[in-house]
Amino acid sequence: MAEFHIRKGKNIKLKGAAARELRAADAPSQIAVMPDDFKGLKLKAVVKSGDEVKIGTAVLADKYHPDVRVVSPVSGKITAVNRGDKRALLDVVITPDQKNSKESFPVFSENQIKNLSAEDIKKHLMHGGLWTVIRQRPFTKIANPQAAPKAVFIHAMSTEPLAADVDFVLQGREKEFQAGLDALSQLSPKTYLCISARAVSKALTQAKNVEVHRFSGAHPSGNVGTHIHCVNPINKGEAVWFVETQDVVRIGKLFLEGVYSGERIVAVTGEGARDRAYFKTMVGAPVKGLLKGSDLKGRRVISGSVMAGRAVGEGGHLRWFDSQMTVIPEGGKRELLGWLWPGFNKYSLSRTYASSLIGLTNQEVSLNTDRNGSPRAIVLNHMYDDLITLDVPTYFLIKAISIGNIEECERLGIYECDEEDFALCSFACPSKTDVGGIIRDGLDMIEREM
Amino acid sequence: MSNDIHAEQHSDAPKLFRKGGKLDKLYPLWEAGDTFLKTPGIVTKKAPHVRDAVDLKRVMIFVVIALLPCLCMGIYNVGYQILLAQNLPVDFGKTMMLGASKVLPIIIVTYAAGGFWEALFAIIRRHEINEGFLVTGILFALTLPPTIPLWQAAVGISFGVVFGKEIFGGTGMNVFNPALVARAFVFFAYPAQMAGSAVWVALDGYTRATPLGVLKDTSAARGTNPVELLAQNGYDFHNMFTGLIPGSIGETSTIACIMGLVFLLVTGVASWRVMAGCAMGLLGMATVFFLTSGPSQPAIFALPPYWHLAIGGFAFGAVFMATDPVSSAATNAGRWIYGILIGALVCLIRLVNPAYPEGVMLSILFMNIFAPLIDHFVIESKIAKRMKKFKASAVSAKA
Repeated sequence: MAEFHIRKGKNIKLKGAAARELRAADAPSQIAVMPDDFKGLKLKAVVKSGDEVKIGTAVLADKYHPDVRVVSPVSGKITAVNRGDKRALLDVVITPDQKNSKESFPVFSENQIKNLSAEDIKKHLMHGGLWTVIRQRPFTKIANPQAAPKAVFIHAMSTEPLAADVDFVLQGREKEFQAGLDALSQLSPKTYLCISARAVSKALTQAKNVEVHRFSGAHPSGNVGTHIHCVNPINKGEAVWFVETQDVVRIGKLFLEGVYSGERIVAVTGEGARDRAYFKTMVGAPVKGLLKGSDLKGRRVISGSVMAGRAVGEGGHLRWFDSQMTVIPEGGKRELLGWLWPGFNKYSLSRTYASSLIGLTNQEVSLNTDRNGSPRAIVLNHMYDDLITLDVPTYFLIKAISIGNIEECERLGIYECDEEDFALCSFACPSKTDVGGIIRDGLDMIEREM
Repeated sequence: MSNDIHAEQHSDAPKLFRKGGKLDKLYPLWEAGDTFLKTPGIVTKKAPHVRDAVDLKRVMIFVVIALLPCLCMGIYNVGYQILLAQNLPVDFGKTMMLGASKVLPIIIVTYAAGGFWEALFAIIRRHEINEGFLVTGILFALTLPPTIPLWQAAVGISFGVVFGKEIFGGTGMNVFNPALVARAFVFFAYPAQMAGSAVWVALDGYTRATPLGVLKDTSAARGTNPVELLAQNGYDFHNMFTGLIPGSIGETSTIACIMGLVFLLVTGVASWRVMAGCAMGLLGMATVFFLTSGPSQPAIFALPPYWHLAIGGFAFGAVFMATDPVSSAATNAGRWIYGILIGALVCLIRLVNPAYPEGVMLSILFMNIFAPLIDHFVIESKIAKRMKKFKASAVSAKA
């Protein structure tokens, strides 16, 4: 076990944290299964409108690895298979019938799990519809079951603004969590559990069969990219896998109980949400059910955090990997001579507003979606490296990406990078450069060439 | 990374300037004026959904604000030198008026000519008008002698903006500091108006050498005490520090530069590493010469090292010119090296170069060329360290 204290980065303390109360959300009126959540897979619908499905029935399957599939979290009827341009699959909508009929999967005892081979574990995960919770770095895509990663990271902390508290969501799920760890630890030579230095749950601090590492410091010290960088960094040709906490619990349930679990505990946060608490719901559930009573006019509904989440809108659904919903006010108000005023209420990591005199960035603040400026060429190139935890010269990496110099990107360490690790750079850049987006473009470029 | 400004048109834009409108090519002009008056009010499209309140407009305007002490001091000093040369009584209001009548036309002309090129390139290249020209324009004006013919100021800034910046691809891509390119152009193209002892006081026929001119004068006997030499010409540390001496408009006052420096450091706009490096380089090199000074060496060798900080255009160059983030080194270690070498070069040019009395402009331009090379070595050493780490971890994984 090692302790890592991250000195760089910054916590943005948004108003609107979720109360530490767990509530049961109303049973979702429909569930959407969205291929877009599964980067790296080419998913085909294996059901059609009108089909009956059980909990655990395959809905989507990968074109190249047909065993990799996405299954239904509810029993019910397929009510729509929506397609967009060029017949690209947008989502499959399932209307639950409340019968809760289940596909059954093999059941294992805790000891049996430990004796399963890696191939068995992979087979059961794919069959049970949970292979797709395993993602690979570099490129942050769904793991290739035929690959051999050098390590598996369990991402059991988050420093995203208003993130769900892992300690809290694990309460009462300790046994399943450990079973999930036991299963995952068979997949690679090394399994690391990365937790917050403040974690108290015994499921985390006394986890078995894994190497526990503790992290403290500001965001992005809780990003899986930071953990990989500190514990076992990726070089060219290497890959690691990573799994989110709640998905480990689902894997544990699959092995211990032989059922597929689509359960997700979501922190509903942000000053735009009225009822801010933890809700027990399902992946793919409509956000409307979670935001009952919130006035969503002039608000942005985000599945995930403000730094890395995705705007899903009022009619959207909770996305596959998210355990947080954030609702913040939309911006867009024009202010007279904005560049001139001292700005005691302006949130800025720079010291160009009077708010830095009163330490506003250390207080709880209300932020909206205003970009606060127009895009410009990068001038202040010195600021990025203080906001990332990776040992990567950001400005030079951006330059290498924009001229398409893959070799230079590799030398500078692009394989350790992901969009979310540079979110603070995009946040703070006075030129409003989408640093994370450029990193993503660079990774996509390299993937195409491979 | 260039942003086509026409791709994201503001919903408030009048039809005339929008795509398909009669003046749609002039959209960058409309956008510049519009966002100058009001914040753009455009929202984010994807993560991160929230953004910092600072934008480049504010950053650039803060650099201009940091230059205000130098500007005000420059205006006062230009008036003061004229009155002093005529032995007239110095009255604050009158001095400022007199100074402003000499300085403001230069600033207006540089802004007009520089702004014209900036706008023209923005329209042709379909990108936004960058606020950087507000900084470039005033920086250039402040490095000129108050007697500069206005047409030369216009030609200089035109050269600086076009050949110092735009041919490299515009703001953010330039190798050299455009204001210094402009000054270097005027300096070499029109030496009679840019150097010597007749140009520093805006009074026809009046000549007075600057402190560095005095020290550089070869007729000064070797081994003379440089402090006494300066005193004979009316210069002491005090008036050089406050800046009430002849010289380029904004460069004479060290105290005004320090005020700007404090503002830049408090707001975090400029790199302290570059400034600290410059000061260290200059002091270090000057100390070396000071220790070797003797009767057989030129008088200037014996100048106390700290005097170099207050003399000539060093403070202005180190605070406002060398710190330009685009043309300086972009790594933290690189910034130290870059700054130190600028300081050392300034000292070398001042002390052992026979041609030019002052070397700040040339040192910074010279180091602008080397900044990418310095960065290259810093980055390479970083990569080497990284590879070593991977090799070590690979070995330990095998064992």
